[in-house]
Amino acid sequence: MPITFIDIERQKSWRIGLLLFFLVALYFLFAFIIAQAVVLFLLGTRSFFVIGSANYAVIIAVSVLTLALVHFGISGYTAVQRVIEQVRAETPDPEDGIHRQLVNIIAEIHIASGNTRKIRCMVIPTLSMNALAVTDLKGEAVIAITEGLLSRLSRDQLEAVVAHEAYHILSGDCLETSLAASLFGIYASAVDGLKGASTEDVRAVPFLLLFWMLSTLASMVNMFISREREYRADAGAVRMTRNPLALAEALHRISARWSGAGFISDGLEMLCISSPTVDSHDEAEGWLDDLLSTHPPVRKRIAVLLGMAHLSPSALDKQDRSRTPVQMPPLPAGSFEGGSVQEPLMFCPSCRGPLVREPAESTTVFRCHACRGLLVDNDKIPRILARKQVECTDRLLALVRAVTADNQRSLAIRQKRLKERKNAETIPCPKCGRVMFRTFYSYAYLIEIDRCNACCLTWFDADELEMLQYIIENKITGAIENLQEFHG
Amino acid sequence: MSVVWILAGFFLLLALWGICIYNRLVMLKNDVRNAWSQVDVQLKRRYDLIPNLVAAVKGFMEHEKTLLQNVVDARARAMAADRIRDRSSAEDSLTNCLNGFFAVMEGYPVLKSNENVMHLQEELVSTENRIAFSRQLYNDLVANYRTRLEVFPDMIISSLFSFRPAEYFSAGRDDLQLPKAALSSSAQ
Ligand SMILES: [Zn+2]
Ligand SMILES: [Zn+2]
Repeated sequence: MPITFIDIERQKSWRIGLLLFFLVALYFLFAFIIAQAVVLFLLGTRSFFVIGSANYAVIIAVSVLTLALVHFGISGYTAVQRVIEQVRAETPDPEDGIHRQLVNIIAEIHIASGNTRKIRCMVIPTLSMNALAVTDLKGEAVIAITEGLLSRLSRDQLEAVVAHEAYHILSGDCLETSLAASLFGIYASAVDGLKGASTEDVRAVPFLLLFWMLSTLASMVNMFISREREYRADAGAVRMTRNPLALAEALHRISARWSGAGFISDGLEMLCISSPTVDSHDEAEGWLDDLLSTHPPVRKRIAVLLGMAHLSPSALDKQDRSRTPVQMPPLPAGSFEGGSVQEPLMFCPSCRGPLVREPAESTTVFRCHACRGLLVDNDKIPRILARKQVECTDRLLALVRAVTADNQRSLAIRQKRLKERKNAETIPCPKCGRVMFRTFYSYAYLIEIDRCNACCLTWFDADELEMLQYIIENKITGAIENLQEFHG
Repeated sequence: MSVVWILAGFFLLLALWGICIYNRLVMLKNDVRNAWSQVDVQLKRRYDLIPNLVAAVKGFMEHEKTLLQNVVDARARAMAADRIRDRSSAEDSLTNCLNGFFAVMEGYPVLKSNENVMHLQEELVSTENRIAFSRQLYNDLVANYRTRLEVFPDMIISSLFSFRPAEYFSAGRDDLQLPKAALSSSAQ
């Protein structure tokens, strides 16, 4: 009998259900011990685990239940909002070609799964490659994709990733994970607190040991569930898109690059498609490593997926159909089609030439054709950086070397004479005319840019964006040790 | 006396059981109908998008007049088709036409810098996927429904109330078939 997606929805894996029940039972055990401890510390008369009367037991049980329910409710209702704030996810920009594609892909996945509940999509403005899904008890569901992933995957691959995340949402994995994370997060911090307390009060030691054991056990069970879910979601994604190869390719690309973002706190890394923490356990195989990682080894997942497609692992390298950079033909002279919309005309801050709106990497920037300077909206910078493929020419390389060396020197000087520095070389904002703020893109990437904080615009002189891209791509960072004192 | 009661109870249970099966069949039939309306919505969306895209690229693709005409004709044929089976093959040929069209479009880099064309192309690509997915869901549901009509106890009810099997909307592409490997098994 054919099993449709709707059937998978209805049929839940009993193993995961049982383990989940175990987790919840553990939670109650925790709460029970806490209640006992409170009584012990407060009254100091009753001995541990000895329940004096039936009334006493009922009071403890009721208070534990209320505590758990309140906790469950609060964490369940705020999960989506919390995670979105934590990773600073934004709604997709309708002006942006690739963001529009993401919106379309989510709509397609809704159809493939026969799902009628609305799943929103969001974009995380970071260059790392990862995707995550969250839901809460309010029924809100969000899939967030990083800019880096959006720009480095082909349409098919992106679709496979979104399907994987959508499966997590539809099967209820997400809700369980975010609840478990917030429930046990408190106990993890209780262990930390007890560690401090145990140095002063010996009575805390048995609690510390017990708590530590229980929370370790809980996180192990949690991780086991998480690993099982990853395989299941991969299979679910294949059921939806019927394209195991695309998912295998996507995982391959994600694993080859930096997937971490440092944006996800403990317990929530299970929501991501690939583990964001850099950990030797994650890729190693063996029972111990298996116990201690949230995600199964990517190699194993890829092998399973390729098995579905009847392909050997070598197929991955041959069939890598990732997005190739689009070569933009130069705009014909005098064509202002894009720019002639009713926008106030802006002028180049350094040479006073007109700024022309032009497409760049599926979004738009303003360019001065006289001096090749670029005006970019701040929120578009990560997208362009992630999408743009710079060719490494000798000219660019020489430029990068010279500029970073120069800027490092000037930064060193600036540290000494911070106060004397005058805004002698500032330029006005093309939009509002106020003086732009000159700064480095970051102290790790020493490219000077001018920012208007009121209009959220950034001005790049000629080649500066390309240099920045080159530096980030090749991880050429300034001498960080020089900078420590600057920050301190 | 008690025999009568037992018999009455037995028939009551039998009737309840029949009602349950009947309701389930109706539910499956409705699932199929909903899935079909989704396919229909997406096919209509494609009919609407094609003339726009053709109009947008006409100026750039002077030498591809016949190709563009083919697409327009295939669309007209698909719109005229009536029965599911005819329609399914007409839609398949439209899909093939469009794929050929997209491949040719790749050869015109000037189209890539035209925001309007890129937007329309993305919408059309998305619609192609939506059609494929909605059709895939529809066929899965039809298969489910047809099996239900044929298995033993349901068969009695279905023939009694003359439930008619729904028709497949055949997916012309091989890659839409579910991979054969066991999906639910995790890594060995
Ligand atoms: Zn200029
Ligand atoms: Zn400004």
